[in-house]
Amino acid sequence: MYGLEAINAANGWAMAYTGAIIVFLGLVVLSFVVSQLNRVLSFWENLISKFKQNHTVKQTDELQDKDTSVVPHHFPSDIKEAARYYSHLIEDLDQPFELTRLYEISQQKGFPHPHITISNFRQANILVPAGGGLFTWSQP
Amino acid sequence: MELLIQFLTNTGYYLADFRNIIMLFVGFIFIYLATAKKYEPLLLVPIGFGILVGNVPFFKGFGLGIYESNSVLHYLYFGVTSGLYPSIVFLGLGAMTDFSSLLARPKLMLLGAAAQMGIFFTLLSALALGFLPKEAASIAIIGGADGPTSIFLTAKLAPHLIGPIAIAAYSYMALIPVIQPPIMRLLTTHKERVIHMTELREVSKKELVIFPVVGVILCCFLAPASIPLLGTFFFGNFMKECGVTERLVQTARTAIIDIATIFLGFTVGASTQGDVFLTGKSVGIFCLGAVAFSIATASDIIFAKIMNLFFKDKINPLLGAAGVSAVPGSAREVHLVGQHEDPTNYLLMHAMACNSSGVIGSAICAGILWSFLV
Repeated sequence: MYGLEAINAANGWAMAYTGAIIVFLGLVVLSFVVSQLNRVLSFWENLISKFKQNHTVKQTDELQDKDTSVVPHHFPSDIKEAARYYSHLIEDLDQPFELTRLYEISQQKGFPHPHITISNFRQANILVPAGGGLFTWSQP
Repeated sequence: MELLIQFLTNTGYYLADFRNIIMLFVGFIFIYLATAKKYEPLLLVPIGFGILVGNVPFFKGFGLGIYESNSVLHYLYFGVTSGLYPSIVFLGLGAMTDFSSLLARPKLMLLGAAAQMGIFFTLLSALALGFLPKEAASIAIIGGADGPTSIFLTAKLAPHLIGPIAIAAYSYMALIPVIQPPIMRLLTTHKERVIHMTELREVSKKELVIFPVVGVILCCFLAPASIPLLGTFFFGNFMKECGVTERLVQTARTAIIDIATIFLGFTVGASTQGDVFLTGKSVGIFCLGAVAFSIATASDIIFAKIMNLFFKDKINPLLGAAGVSAVPGSAREVHLVGQHEDPTNYLLMHAMACNSSGVIGSAICAGILWSFLV
């Protein structure tokens, strides 16, 4: 067989146009995916860098929080500096409060010499009597 | 005396017939083109010498010829008939290919697809000339201008045609400087030939690493029959780009591809024994091969011109000629023609993008035709 008859008998037309469509489609899809690869990668990298940035900020915040709640082995002689450490404890107390309550919390937190320190706060009028054995905190 | 006469009747001088002489002459031409004209010497020297060796007349039955089942040449030829050598060549090819220009301008990949139209046109032509469907498909793949792909598909569909098809494919690849430039000039104007391509963007390492993975998945899922070619091709490229297998990639792109090319070329050459090779079919294959190659080049140039109607960023239509997968011959030719028109026009990198997409396209075509006809 020759000519169109041979092409028809071998299903040549279908093979030719199906094959052409498939190879075109394949390379068009590959070309599209490749053209988007750059964008997908930059999107992904942005996402990662944002996540990392957030993570770093969080860690920094946590570190800062930790810094403020670090308990020194010896309180500084400056009463104002000592009051700064105690102010975090006062935040957890309802004002006015009993000195025993402040003493308990400062002991729990491991503050050194709470009795002497609270006494000093009293003398410096940082702890102000509110009547009925209760005191309020007056930040120096 | 009788012994001497018996010996003389067994010599090649006595057994030679005109077909061997013709093929020896063809072998000399190949060697001449490779050594004197430097046309694809890495391919034409092994093939040319293989033709000389394969056409030395010998006494049949001694286990000497490539078609005799117990001969050394036959064992070496197994790499061709099984599709082993083409697969290994693709591994090395992948390890050598730089896809950065293709990734920088992915629309050039469409030119690699358009070049495959030559394959399907030739398929119809071969069928019309009376070739069987499997033979027609094997002949058509010459239009892809990819020697290993042509050999691979022919080994699977029409092994008896490996010799003529391989010789035709490699001959036309070697003759790119002769075949392509007239077609390029015929189908383009001077104004089109001097179009400068815009500068390519920088491609990140991550893109280069991801591409072979994406490529192998998309292409091999579409045409699983192309796994032996594209699987190794993208594997080689992944080794190159991942940056942690320097030793392996160095071996793949030097020793491995060289060994496969030597044996592929030599045994394909040796398979062209005059009595097997010089038939009417071989002449038909050579004619159709030329048609396939020319149509592939022409259809791609025309497609590039059509693309220019739709895209703001104009493409130099010469790049279309590089869509056939003759790496790097056609890319080099496109660059030279472009430079001839305007010495400040550098098209090589862009042409290499079309070239590498042509390799992918022709391997997909081989997979498609194999799956159609198996």
